[in-house]
Amino acid sequence: MSSIVISLKNISKRYVMGDETIFTALSDINLDINKGEYVAIVGQSGSGKSTLMHIIGLLDKPTDGKVMIEGKDISTLDDDATSTLRSEFVGFVFQQFNLLNKLTIKENILLPVEYARRKFDYNPSERADYLMKRFGIFDKKDSFPNKISGGQQQRVAIARALIMNPKLILADEPTGNLDTKTGDEIMELFGELNKEGITILIVTHEHDIAERARRQIKIKDGEVVK
Amino acid sequence: MKYVIDLFKSAITDFGKNKGRTFLTSLGILIGVMSVVLLMAAGAGLKLYISQQFESLGTNLLYVMPGNMFGEGGTGIRAGAGGSIAPIFEEKDIVDLKRIKEAEYVIPYYQKSIKVSFEAIAEYSTLNATSEDVFPSRNFVAEYGTVFSSADNSARNKVAVLGSKIAEKLFSDPSLALSKKIRIDGQSFRVIGVLQSKGGGGFGGPDFDNYIYIPYKTGYIFNTDKKFIEIMVKAKTSEALPLLKEDIKNVLLKRLETDDFSVVESTEILNTIGSIFSILNVVLVAIAAISLVVGGIGILNIMYVTVSERIKEIGVRRALGARRNDILWQFLAEAVVLSVFGGVMGLGISAIVVFLMQSFFPAYISISSILLALGTSSLIGIVFGVFPAKKAADLSPIDAIRYE
Ligand SMILES: Nc1ncnc2c1ncn2[C@@H]1O[C@H](COP(=O)(O)OP(=O)(O)OP(=O)(O)O)[C@@H](O)[C@H]1O
Ligand SMILES: [Mg+2]
Repeated sequence: MSSIVISLKNISKRYVMGDETIFTALSDINLDINKGEYVAIVGQSGSGKSTLMHIIGLLDKPTDGKVMIEGKDISTLDDDATSTLRSEFVGFVFQQFNLLNKLTIKENILLPVEYARRKFDYNPSERADYLMKRFGIFDKKDSFPNKISGGQQQRVAIARALIMNPKLILADEPTGNLDTKTGDEIMELFGELNKEGITILIVTHEHDIAERARRQIKIKDGEVVK
Repeated sequence: MKYVIDLFKSAITDFGKNKGRTFLTSLGILIGVMSVVLLMAAGAGLKLYISQQFESLGTNLLYVMPGNMFGEGGTGIRAGAGGSIAPIFEEKDIVDLKRIKEAEYVIPYYQKSIKVSFEAIAEYSTLNATSEDVFPSRNFVAEYGTVFSSADNSARNKVAVLGSKIAEKLFSDPSLALSKKIRIDGQSFRVIGVLQSKGGGGFGGPDFDNYIYIPYKTGYIFNTDKKFIEIMVKAKTSEALPLLKEDIKNVLLKRLETDDFSVVESTEILNTIGSIFSILNVVLVAIAAISLVVGGIGILNIMYVTVSERIKEIGVRRALGARRNDILWQFLAEAVVLSVFGGVMGLGISAIVVFLMQSFFPAYISISSILLALGTSSLIGIVFGVFPAKKAADLSPIDAIRYE
């Protein structure tokens, strides 16, 4: 069982709405993700995909249930420890890229390194160069995000997600803001990365994107249906 | 350490991209620091100026004044109970004081604002009716002609010695003043000398160059009571000062009561003036410091705006592993940079102003006021930056990343 990267046990997320009614965004989710897996979470808008991804990515806390990372319950961790784990454990890729416009491409990619609390067994700057070369954006390294195309921005975001060598890449609608062709290229990239052994969890509502994953998890109204 | 450097580096590059807003926000601190530094510089300069003026009067001086004005310690003015400050000294006192062995010069003091005219030219000036000792004691030397003598005094000759400035005003060329008849408040006087310029004046200090000196007995035309408000006595040596002080008291006590007069050293007066100015300066600087607080509120305001503009950025940074404190320090560093930027600019402008002022006034910026300016501006950055920074740090990562 040591190959389980993350395991969700009876996870629920409920919101108390303004009029005191309770809205259940996720209910009783059980999910294991193994090392090296390529998982797609699919479901309609509002079904709770992003909520689930944020809980897996330690950005959000479940109302009930346990999140186990490599066998360890993380619900007792304080904010600092959670932040550190987040920096070590996950790499995020967002639909809107979420790059910082005042930093150069290379600075954006290296941003997680600034918050790292560990020694690196590799040179992050060299790794950034390697990733940029590999993703074909090396010539843009001193440009700013608003000066490059959406496809290029998403490559930067993926490089940023990979800079810390995380256990898990979480991508929330990574092709949502891209045209089909560019989206396909980005999906190719995820495929390649997964072949190299990187665990990937991708959130999407597009069927053919989900098809690329080796495993699909379908949610509907906050529940796993398949 | 690298963390701190990076923090400030990124804060500075941030502002480099938003120059207009950065400058406007810093403006409050700039003005605050400038007013504090300039007031401190002016205060320091004024103190220096006054002590220079006193030094130019010569040393080893004792001032005999009416009333018990100065406490024993010599600092702080004590309103002498019942002690009057009306002119009480008489010609007899001057003569008696002159007889004291340690007394080198005795200079009675009678001053009056007068109108002086030569032909069609009329000017305002200050008349000093005093003894011939005033000239050597204050290092006044005649540039043209001579100063008056004790014989002029005894004979009540209507002779006048002019300061260089008033001589220039009346005669354009001071050398032409000699032997001319001038009218002082309607009385005709003959100019027998013009003094070398002493400088000074213009900042409340005595403007010696604009004074007119006449023998004190001649001065009884104006000084109809024949009383003097002050007598200055110069000791032959500084060692003789304490003894002279005692002797003066003994001489005057024959005629006056203890509480009627005081004998003080110039250093005591200087200390008193110094402490008055220090208090005044502290008050002024405190008032100026209010503008620093206003500047701080400007920073508080803009930092709150910055934080709400950058909620998404905060969310992204948290998603990438930033801790609460990383966010806190980031915004705190920005506030400090803003504030110190204003402080440095304020200091720079003050330096220029002080430099320009120095041609006519000995204002100067001390190391302590530089440190104070930089210290307070960083402190203001911290104090007013901490609330917005805390707000940023306290945002929950999920709310921040979901914020649109
Ligand atoms: N802070 C919140 N308070 C109340 N309701 C919330 C909150 N956050 C999310 N929700 C609700 O939870 C539900 C699930 O949201 P979520 O963002 O996970 O959906 P999603 O599946 O990602 O949808 P989409 O495909 O549109 O991104 C939605 O109905 C949303 O309105
Ligand atoms: Mg979503």
